[in-house]
Parts: sequence; structure tokens; C-alpha cells
Amino acid sequence: MVVAKVDNALRLSAVERKATALGLAIGQPLANARATLPALKVVAANEPDDLKLLTRIADWCDRFTPHVAFDGPRGLLLDVTGAAHLFGGEQALLNRIRESLKAQGFAVRGAMAGTAVAARAFARYRDGAVIAPGEEAETIAPLPVAALNLDHITTHAFRRAGLKTVGQVASRKRTEMTARFGAGMVAILDQALGHGTQPLSPRLPRALYWKEQNFAEPIATEEVIRATLKSLAAALASVLEKRGEGARRLEAVFFRADGALRRIAIEMGVPTREPAVIERLFREKLETLADPLDPGFGFDLIRLSASRVERAQGEVADFDVSINEKADISFLVDRLATRFGSQRILAFQPNDTHIPEAAWLAVPAQYAQPTKLMWKKIREPGDAPRRPLRLFTRLEPVTLLATASGAQHLRWRKVQHAVAHCEGPERIAMEWWRHETPPPERDYFRVEDGEGRRYWLYRAGVPPQWFLHGIFA
Amino acid sequence: MKAYAEIAVTTNYSFLRGASHPWEFAGMAAKLRLAAIGIADRNTLAGIVRAYAAVQVIKENRPRLLVGARLVFVDGTPDILAYPTDRTAYGRLCRLLSAGKLRAPKGECHLALYDLLKWQEGLLLVVMAPRPEQKERVDDSPRNFWNKNLAREDEEVGELPEEIHANAPQVSSEETQSLLEKLLGAAPGRLWLGVSMPHKCDDRRRLREWQRVARAAAVPLLATNDVLYHSPERRELQDVVTCIREHVTLNEAGRLLEANAEQHLKSPDDMAELFNETPDAIAETIRFAGRISFSLDQLKYNYPDEPIPKGKTAQEHLEEITWQGAASRYGGVIPDKLRATLEKELALIARMDIAPYFLTVHDIVSYARSQNILCQGRGSAANSAVCYVLGITAVDPMQIDLLFERFVSEERKEPPDIDVDFEHERREEVIQHIYKRYGHHNAALTATVICYRPRSAIRETGKVFGLTEDVTANLASGVWGSWGSELKEGQVRQGRLDPFNRVIKRAVEAANLLITFPRHLSQHVGGFVLTRDRLDEIVPVGPATMEDRHFIEWDKDDIDTLRMMKVDVLALGMLTCIRKAFDLIRIHKGESWDLATVKREDPRVYDMLQKADAIGVFQVESRAQMSMLPRLQPREFYDLVIEVAIVRPGPIQGGMVHPYLQRRKEHRESKGTKKFEYSSPLLDPQAKDELIPVLDKTMGVPLFQEQAMKLAIVAAKFTPDEANGLRRAMATFHHVGTINNFKEKFVGRMVDRGYEREFAERCFKQIEGFGSYGFPESHAASFAHLVYISAWIKKFHPDAFACALLNSQPMGFYAPAEIVRDAREHEVEVRHVDVNFSDWDNTLEPYEGGLALRLGFRQVSGFREDWAKTLLAARANGYRAVSEVARRVRLPKRAFIILAEADSFQSISMDRREILWAVRRIADDDALPLFAAQYVEEQSEEEIAPLPLMPLSEHVLADYQMLRLSLRAHLMFFLRDLFRSEGVWDCAEISGAKDSTPASCAGIVLVRQMPGDSGVVFITLSDEAGIANVVVWPKLVETFRREIMGGRLLLVEGRVQRSPEGVVHLVAECIFDRSHELEHLSEDVTEAPSFRAQAARHRHPRNVRTVPKSRDFH
Repeated sequence: MVVAKVDNALRLSAVERKATALGLAIGQPLANARATLPALKVVAANEPDDLKLLTRIADWCDRFTPHVAFDGPRGLLLDVTGAAHLFGGEQALLNRIRESLKAQGFAVRGAMAGTAVAARAFARYRDGAVIAPGEEAETIAPLPVAALNLDHITTHAFRRAGLKTVGQVASRKRTEMTARFGAGMVAILDQALGHGTQPLSPRLPRALYWKEQNFAEPIATEEVIRATLKSLAAALASVLEKRGEGARRLEAVFFRADGALRRIAIEMGVPTREPAVIERLFREKLETLADPLDPGFGFDLIRLSASRVERAQGEVADFDVSINEKADISFLVDRLATRFGSQRILAFQPNDTHIPEAAWLAVPAQYAQPTKLMWKKIREPGDAPRRPLRLFTRLEPVTLLATASGAQHLRWRKVQHAVAHCEGPERIAMEWWRHETPPPERDYFRVEDGEGRRYWLYRAGVPPQWFLHGIFA
Repeated sequence: MKAYAEIAVTTNYSFLRGASHPWEFAGMAAKLRLAAIGIADRNTLAGIVRAYAAVQVIKENRPRLLVGARLVFVDGTPDILAYPTDRTAYGRLCRLLSAGKLRAPKGECHLALYDLLKWQEGLLLVVMAPRPEQKERVDDSPRNFWNKNLAREDEEVGELPEEIHANAPQVSSEETQSLLEKLLGAAPGRLWLGVSMPHKCDDRRRLREWQRVARAAAVPLLATNDVLYHSPERRELQDVVTCIREHVTLNEAGRLLEANAEQHLKSPDDMAELFNETPDAIAETIRFAGRISFSLDQLKYNYPDEPIPKGKTAQEHLEEITWQGAASRYGGVIPDKLRATLEKELALIARMDIAPYFLTVHDIVSYARSQNILCQGRGSAANSAVCYVLGITAVDPMQIDLLFERFVSEERKEPPDIDVDFEHERREEVIQHIYKRYGHHNAALTATVICYRPRSAIRETGKVFGLTEDVTANLASGVWGSWGSELKEGQVRQGRLDPFNRVIKRAVEAANLLITFPRHLSQHVGGFVLTRDRLDEIVPVGPATMEDRHFIEWDKDDIDTLRMMKVDVLALGMLTCIRKAFDLIRIHKGESWDLATVKREDPRVYDMLQKADAIGVFQVESRAQMSMLPRLQPREFYDLVIEVAIVRPGPIQGGMVHPYLQRRKEHRESKGTKKFEYSSPLLDPQAKDELIPVLDKTMGVPLFQEQAMKLAIVAAKFTPDEANGLRRAMATFHHVGTINNFKEKFVGRMVDRGYEREFAERCFKQIEGFGSYGFPESHAASFAHLVYISAWIKKFHPDAFACALLNSQPMGFYAPAEIVRDAREHEVEVRHVDVNFSDWDNTLEPYEGGLALRLGFRQVSGFREDWAKTLLAARANGYRAVSEVARRVRLPKRAFIILAEADSFQSISMDRREILWAVRRIADDDALPLFAAQYVEEQSEEEIAPLPLMPLSEHVLADYQMLRLSLRAHLMFFLRDLFRSEGVWDCAEISGAKDSTPASCAGIVLVRQMPGDSGVVFITLSDEAGIANVVVWPKLVETFRREIMGGRLLLVEGRVQRSPEGVVHLVAECIFDRSHELEHLSEDVTEAPSFRAQAARHRHPRNVRTVPKSRDFH
């Protein structure tokens, strides 16, 4: 069961077959569904991922025709004009698409007809049908009005008027309907009946950030590939520049002549549109691929697309040295990450917590964001630092001894240090929600010995034990 | 041992800051033997009365309670604690806080330093030295320090200049020193520097620095622990509320949380140890407390003297109008019995000095009467003879023999309680009158403390622990009903979650602690506090959401604690309905009635009620009440009082219902000769008959709250103090749950005196039940009067009754469909909505057979009142064609479509489809107005083929969709053949069946109910023959949960259960959800069945609501 937030209430947005049989339906509030079936398992809807998946299916459909369009959140329209014969005829093509998608685990409904509207209607009510041109009107007539996929109000109006099938609607005069529902509705009806056409608005996956090159002769050599990528990058760059944007993620798609497809992606820490940089990053990536690019009989199409873009300042005014330095560092980070993997190039980031050893995190440098919580000076001017310069990863147990004279001694690594000054405690309680039984709270002390060495100690537990957690200098 | 007083305590009334209740602090302070405890919540006094009440009951080591507030400023000034030394200084503190609240949005308080300078006289001020962590948190954006030159004397409240707002205080020691010096000029000898030891490594160095600053400014240093919770374990909850406040999860919160658990109440020794370098700072706390002579008992409440004529005392005036009223009620001859009662009551009122209270209520009620607004008083004092003759209530005290002294306790010395119900549609007029008459300075609403309940608590803590919304919703949904004091393991399990999962366990634990924590203050629905002195010198007053509404910071329990006067101005839908019915009767039948003149004790009214013919009748229309009526067989007014009171959690939980009914039956059968045995203390033979005076009116079975209280005194020998405590615990059951402290005492003592344990325990269970919904006899009596009145109207004027009921919706238990059906069963002709006859409201129209009920446009979903007005204004002699309506009336196209869908053109054309098809042609609203008219004209010619005829079943469905009822037929009518073929009975057959006949019945679900914690579900089914009541025992509920909760049309197989009184239930054995049958009704044969499943998924949202939604009560 999938739920999504609609109008501030959780509602079912997708329902599996078994649940439908139990009476659950899309649009039902989750609370109601829960009232009937407390054991309901639900996951939160993820529309971006759904769209991604549909995009991938659409990509896959690219192999049948270049004209693929999205149709609502869960539909695809393929214009297979002139393509069907390549796959053994219309019925064979339709079956192949349906069967292969089913084999991949999708629930599929599909139909083919002379117009998009008719195909859409048949897909929902006559799964698997191929309707020959000219037969639409007759075939669609007994379908319910809902098959026209009109807006709810219009569909309701027809049903209320007793016009419950497409055929009944079609039997009314066109003027009668235009007066009530407008010319648009009549146009849809005509298309459903197989008259007139409406061009598909093909899926343009962010057309502006997408350049490709076709080759009459498939290409196979590395130089040509690289040169192609560079020229595509340049073409892309001019588009990005116009929009004041830069790419964070670029993807090159290599279409092999035999239909195989390979995608290579690179990521940048800062928005980039410099063709030379892009070309270089791709080169490094291609060189280090574990599974090298196999041109086989050659590629007949290379496409370069920016799948993530962000606003980027123009480089013109970059006279400020520090900015250039930053750019240099980020380019270095990108290069290193491209070569060694982004998980292996790390940077430190502050982490907001009282626990001293958790006050920083090592994160992949490409993803390190300047956080609003920067390392904050917790230190007053003229005051001693509160956290040591060096923090030990492994705590060192120490003993505190009091001599007969009352002076304190600190015993660390078998050496005794006389305590000259001591300040504290700074009491830090552990984060109770992270532990089954939280460790005891710690009392930190700053201690200076006779020679001016400063230690950061803490005491914890019952009976108290002492540990050295770091040294100041 | 050292002496120490904690001056800086933040309770949970500093919403989402403190993590302990005021009473927890009070208890802990006594345990730690603190000399005094100073409650200083953030810009509020909301929690101090609770603390005061808690301190009062402490027996050992009672600490002194210091009343103060922590002033938090918007201009960057560090926090300052303010403690009034005396009553006048307290008044100034209230004024100061009121000023800050009145200029801020609801729930906030904006103060600047100059406000304090204006009101500081007599206040002890403690400047809180900024704690180090406050410096870590602030951002780097520019800030301004408190503004030194902005003092404005001119206006009382005034807006704060924009530039004054600053960030959180971020103050250096130099700045603090200059602030101290500045304040010292204004408040010499009344200024301290408050310091605390936060365990931040350099505490001691910091303390020495503050010591230097204090010395330089010549201000004493005062030790505090800046307390947020009463005991260190509350640190976890403290972190949780911090996260709730900051809208973060625990994992994200970081340094927003305190680093350690040190901000709890500490013992004097611990504090002395912490401040061992500055022992003076500890000693200073005692000196500080010694300076304060103010305590809350000094708040002398005074009644407004508004209604009293000059030269008379309140008592004289009250006596005068009482005798006048009595004379006019009884036509000049006051019966002796009444005279005696009045004299007794007036004497009591004089002794208690509460005459002004009666005058105030009388004043409000007289206003309502002058405006022809129906009202009726209820509450402890309302059923006095004085109130009756003053017209505050219409219940004749002679008739039911309620004793005034029973409700007004002389020893408690507190004002009586009178709630007045007004017509809900016109209560606002009364409220405005009160403001006008008493002034905004002297009248304000009380607050309601909105507390965390199980659902809200688990929702918010779940978020804090990072649980997904789904999981928390799941946890929350396990809680039936919104009250309850704890989430139990079983509920977690019922939500199919693992109660031992660490995160869930912690979240549930935190939620359980959070339940009963105050969340914010809201205005009470109608509780008014009226005073002679300025109210904002007694308690801070803040703005409510509604324009020109103010409410004080205390709720009704606080008001009770301080013995202030409150009048509840409440809204009651039934009064609106009764007034509308009286109006209709006057207009159409020329009879004039009011609450007091309706003929009493008409046996025909009781006959009707005995038959459970009570749909729409006030209070007794619920299913439980309807099945009680035939058993109780009400015959006189007092029976109605019992009827109203008996179906309540108190008597039900106490198991008192059946014993009472049993005795009543025996009484009836013996023709009143049978004498009943009363429970008695076997070990105390002298007191054998002690319960007879307590329980004689209810045949020895305690039913009313007053009787339960009396039992505590008579049978359990509670002292007045103890009884008072029990009463308080009962009233505040939700907040504190202290009632269990009394259980041992109550049951134990009764058993010790020889009462049966079982009886004692039942009595106490009943008291617990009253705790959740207290319903005293005096309320029951007032309500019973309205029961009688509404039953009387239903009996003699069913047409007016149905019409008024429909016009007062939403109210009551039944949907319009049932009201209309009931009216038709009482031979009222009901007519469909029509453009030519209907008004916005439902109306009565005369016809040869009497008065017919014409449905109004308000019954049409989606239609608007202003459209109806437009339609009416242009109606003149009526519309003759749809095109004519469209031409004459300027309404959006949608309005016409709705009218057509609702089939309201019947007087113009009989065919709904043609009308529907025609109105769709009306020009769209966005057409240019110039062309619109032309378009309509031009359109008038159209030759169209006839549309298919609309089958009756579709008509009915469409009626239900648009009106939620149909006058044509019941939906079940179309399915009858189908169900008949399955051997299913209709509701009438069920009602007529013999006991324990196996039967099945199908019907539309009207109401589902799960009363209390019993687990039993009651379902009311409806079909064309009537209604049937289904009982589902708890065991079956789980099995058929899906059907019960989800089904709109249920088929129930079971066994008929018929009681000797003729109450019939169908006890379910098997339940089927047959809702899908309803879909068949809208489908035409032309649609092949194979599409149906598919089509259903794409149906119009309106189609989904084919049947009116059932009303569910948990």
C-alpha cells in the first residue's frame, strides 16, 4: 500500500490487487483504511522516484520508437508510425512491449489505435487490443464515458444525463455538446472515434540540457569519442551559460549500433560548464572504468545530458583570488573523486552535539556543504580554549593521586605529573536516546602540570574512573 | 542544614520549556525542605494557582510559595525575575504582563525594558546573569542592546517600535553592570543579580566575575539553580519538549539541548556546596523571600456592583426582585411552601454574602429575555427557588424538591455555580452585551488549558524521536477516543508495532509523561469572570483569536481555587431549535409558548416517550437513551431527570443502572407498595438508616454526583476537608489523577463500618465515572426540562419540530434523512426543494391537509445562502422556465447545475435529465457580461433528441448525493428483492420478532458507537421499513472489524433479543459488507458487467458518496 499526503491528510495513492479485493481504493484516507484493516502495511509515496522509474521505462521504450511521451503519472504513449514493421507487425510489437515489461515485474495494460485518445481508452478497457484504423468508432462505442478520460465534471454530466457509453455520447449532435462542454471536448470525442489527430508532445527529458550527435557511420575510436564529448559539452555549456546554470551531474549515453546502451555519469562538487573540465573528468572516468566501454561495432549515437544543474555565477568577475583558490580545490576534489571514488575523498564538517568526540564528521568532500552551523568560537577573547587541540581516539586511563602534602599528581603512561592548576568540572551527559542504558555522564577538567603541559581529563562512573581525552599543547 | 529558597523555577506553564508540573515542584520543595519556592514562568502567571493549590495541601515542611514571573524581553535585555512584595505590586505585575500580551499575537508577550521601568514599583527584581551557553547559540547577525531611551509614558499598551526587537540576550559583564546601575536608580534596594552554576568548567571563575560586577554595582548576589524540572530524571522529557518547541528531532537538536541534567531542584546542602565561595548568595535567598509579603490569598474577589440601584445593598435589591418575581410567577399569591423556601434561601444567601452573584446572572438573563433569546440556567444554584422566581430557570423547585443547601456548601464559602445555556446562534449577542455592560477591564473569558492528550502526545514525541508520520499515526490511531491517561502496551501492539523496540518504547514513555502537560492556553467557550476592580490587576489578560475578545490566564479550576465568581455563558443547539419551533408555531398556528408556559406533565408526552418515539428529542434521542426509555417508563418529570442522568459513565461504571431498573420494576409491579432495603453499616447499628435520606429519591441506588458525595460524608465519614479534596479530585480528574488517593479511604472506611465491599467499590467506581463526565442532579433537572419541552413540541407540533430541527443543524444525533423520515412517519407531508417554493431555511407551507414541510436550499449540498437570497428576490410570481430563471437571476453557472442536480425545478418541468442537460448550456460565468445576456437569448432555440429516461434508483441516488435524503424511496427498496431472495428480513420484521429468533437483516449504517471502554459496538441500520439496532460483542468486533468500520451497507446475521419491555436488538453473529450492492443502483444495463471493476476506480468523487456518511461516536 502506498500513501501520500493530499490536502493535509494521508491518503492511499496506490493499492495492490489483494487490497482492492478487500475494498480499499485509491484516494481513501489512510485513517479509514486503518480502521478497517489495522494490519495494513504502507509505504510513503515517492513521486520523484515514481517519475524516475517511468522515465527509465520510457528510456527503455526508446528502442521501439523515438517518439515516446508521458501520459499522466503512470502512462506512456508511443507513436509507432513507421516502426511497427521492424518488430514483426503491430500486434507483435504491442505484445513484445507488454510481455517484456511484464517479465520485468510491471503490471501492464496496453493497446494500439489510430489516435492517442483511442489508444488510451482501449489500453484501460481492452488490454492487448490492436484496433485497425477506421474501426475505432465501432469498438469504442460500448465503453463507458470514463474511457474518454474527460474531466470529472464532464464525465459526471454525461452520466447524469443518461449518456453512459461513448456510443451514446457520440450519438448526440456536435453543436449540442459544443454549447455545453466546449469545442475541446468534441475534439477529444472525435479523436476517440478515430478522426483527426493530435500530435504527441514527445518526452523531452530537459531538452535544454541535452545534446546528442548521430553518426552515419558508427564510431569506435577513443579520440573520436572524446572529441564528440567535448563538442557536445561545448554545445551544452552555451545553453547552461544562457540560463546562468552549471551542471552538478552529467551523463553520457552511448547507443551501440546493435541496440545495447551504456551510460557513464560524472559528478562535480560545484556547478560546472567548462567544456575542458568536463572533457577531462570524462577522460579520467573512462580510463578508470572497471568495465571498460566496449564500442563493439561502434556507436551510432552519443548523447550528453545534464541530469542535475544548479545556479552558477559567471566566471567573468572571478578576480578574487580566494574564489579561484576555492575553485581550484573543488576541481582537485572532483578529479580525485572521479578517480578514486567520491567515498574516499573526505572533508571535515562540524556536527552539532555536546559530545566532544562526535563534534565533527568526515563526509565525502564533494558533498560537504557549507553548513549554517560553522565551527563556532566557544572561546572568549583572552580565555583558554575549551576543547583540546588534540583529541585522542582511544581514551587513556589515568590515575589521580594525592600526596601526603595534599598536592595532586596525575599518573599517565606510568609517568607522574604534578598538578599545578585544575579547573572544572564541565559536566556533559551522554545522548540518552542513542543508548539502551546511557553511559554515565562525564565531568571534564582542564589540568595544567608543573611544566605547563595542559591536559583534558574526565571522570565518569561509580566509583569514578579517570581518563585522558586530549591534550591542549 | 543550610536554609535555601529557590527563586528561579520554570514550570511546564512556560509552555514547552519546563518539564515538570507546578505540583511536582511543590512536592519536591517540601521533600528537600526548601524554605521557599519561587515560581517564575516566562511572562505568565498561568501556573501559579496550580502551585498554590499544591502547596496548600502539603502537610510537612510546607515551603512558602513566592509568586512571580520571569520577564523575557524582546529588546535584548537579559531575563529579569519579578516578584511582587504586596498586593498592589502584584497588580502592577499583572498590568505589565497584560500590556505585553495585548500588543503581541495570541500566546505571546512582547516586553521591553521601559515597560518594566514603568511598572516596577514594589517589585523585587532579579537580573539573571546570562549563562554561557546562551552565547554559543546566537548567530552573528547584528543585534542591538536594550534600548535605553525609548521610555514612553503616554499610552497604556502601545506598540513597540520595530527597531527595538533584538536577538536573544547576549550580554557582557560590563553591559550587565550598566543595566544593574540603571535599574538600581529606579528600584533601590529591590534589585539582585541572580547567578547559577551550570557546570560549564569555568563556573567558579564566572562566579567570581559576577561577584565583582555585583559588588561594583552595589547589588547583592542571589544564588539560583535556574530550575527547569523537579528531579534529574526529567532531563529526558526536557530534551523532548525542547525538540517539540524547536521543531527538530533529537538527533538534529545538538546544542539546543542542555549539556547535562543539572537544572533540577537541589537541596540546600547541595546548593551551599556549589556556592561555597559565596555563602552570602545562599543566605540572600532567605532574605529575599523574607521581603515578600504577598500571597495569593490576598486576592480579594469583589463582585461587580453594576446591577444594584444606588442606596441599596445587593441583598436588599435581591430580596426585592425575588418577591416581585415570586408574586408575578404565582399571580400575586405566593404559596406558603414557596415563601418558606425563599426565606430560607435568602437567609443563606445573606450569610454567604453572594447576593451580587444572583443579581449578575439575573441581569444577563434579563437581557437575553429582552432580546427574545431563549436561555436556561443550570448548575448547583440554578435550581433554587430564587432562580426560579427570577426566571433564570424554568424548573419549578417545588415540583422536584431539590434542596438548595445541598448544592451550596456554606463551609466552603465559595460562590455558587450557575451555567446559563443560550441559543447557540445568538449567544454572541449576549457576550457582546456583557462586554458592553461591564467593560473590557472588568469582564473577560476564562482560559482553557489545552493539555497534551494521548494522540497529540504520541504524535509530537514520535516526531521528536524521528519516527515517521505513518508510525506515529498508527500509534495514535490505537487510541480510541481522545481522552485517556496513558498509552498502554496493548495499544502499541494493536498498532502492529513492537512495544519493545527501543525507540518506540522511549517515545511511548515520553508521551506518557507528556500527557496532561499544558500545551497552550485557549479561551474557554463561555466562562466569564466579572469583577468590580480592574481584572487586569488580578490576573494578566491577553487577547483571544477573535477580535475584541480577551481571556485571563487562569482556567476554571484556578478560579475555583481562588474562589472567584464565574458565569458560564454557554451555547445550546436545542434552545435554538426550540425557539425556532415556537416561532413557527406562533406564525402558522397562532399559539404563543415559551419555556415556562408549556403545559406540564401532559401524560400524552410521557406516553410517546415510553414508546421510545424520541428521534430529535433533546438528550434522550441517542440509542442508549432510546432503549432506556421503555425500561424506565417515565411518567413524571423526575423520571426524566433520572433518565438524563442514568445513561452516563458514572452510573454505568458503577454498575448502578441495572439495580435501579430492577427496583423500579418491582416498585411498578407492586404498585408502589414494596419497601426496599438500603445498604447499611452492619457494624454501626445506630446508623442503620443513615442512607435513607441520601438515597430515597432513587430507591436506594445512588445515581447522582451529589449522592456520591453525600455517601462519602455519611457512609465513609469523610471530613468536610476530605470531601472537598475528593470533589476537587473529581473535577480535575483529567489533569492530575489524584482521585486514586481517595479510593483506599473511601472503600476502606465503608468496609470498616460494615458495608459490603462490593457496594463500596461500585460507589467509588461511580465517582471515578463522574470524574470523566460529571452530571449532577441539578444539571439533569435543567436538561430534563428541555427534554420535556422538546418532546412536547414533537408530540403536538411534529411539523414545526422537524422543520426547526432541520434548520438548527448540525446538532443532535440523527442525520436529516432520519429526521425527515421520522416526520413523515408522524404524518407530516414533506415536499422537495423547489426554485418556486423553497427558502434558504426549511419552511412550513399550508395546504388543505394542514402544514407541509418544504425543504429549503440549506439542505442542498454546495448551495449558498446568498444564492438562495438572489433567487428569492427575483422570484416574484414564480419562474416558468429554466431559461427564464437564468435570464432573471444572476447566479454562477455552478449554482444552476446544483439546482438541477438537486431536482429543484420540479414545478417547472418533471424531467430531471432534461433540466440538467439544459442548464449546462447556460453561459459560463467568465463570458463577457455584455454578451452573456445575448447568448442566453440566442440559445433559447434548440432541437434535441430526448435523453434516456432516468430510472428511479438513479433518482434516489442523485437525491442522496445532493440532499443526503430522498423523498422518493429508500435505497434499500431497490435491493429488497435481492435480499428477500436471500431470506433477509427488513427492520420492521426484526422489531416484531420474538425473543431469540435467528434472523438476518440488511441496511444502511446510520450510526456506529463504541461507548466507553466496553468494547461493544452498537450499529444502527436503516431500511425502507424502519431501523434496527445491532449489538456486536467485543469478541466479534475484532473478527469483523473491517466490515464494521468500513461498510456502508451491512448484512447482519444473528439472533433477536427482545426484552420484556419490548426493546429489540439484533445480536450479531456474522457480518457481511454488502456496500458494493449500492453500486449496482447507478449502473445501467448498457454497461457490460466486465467493466465494472475498472469503472469503479475512476468514478466521480461525488459518486463515491452514494450514501450519507454514518455518524460515528467513539
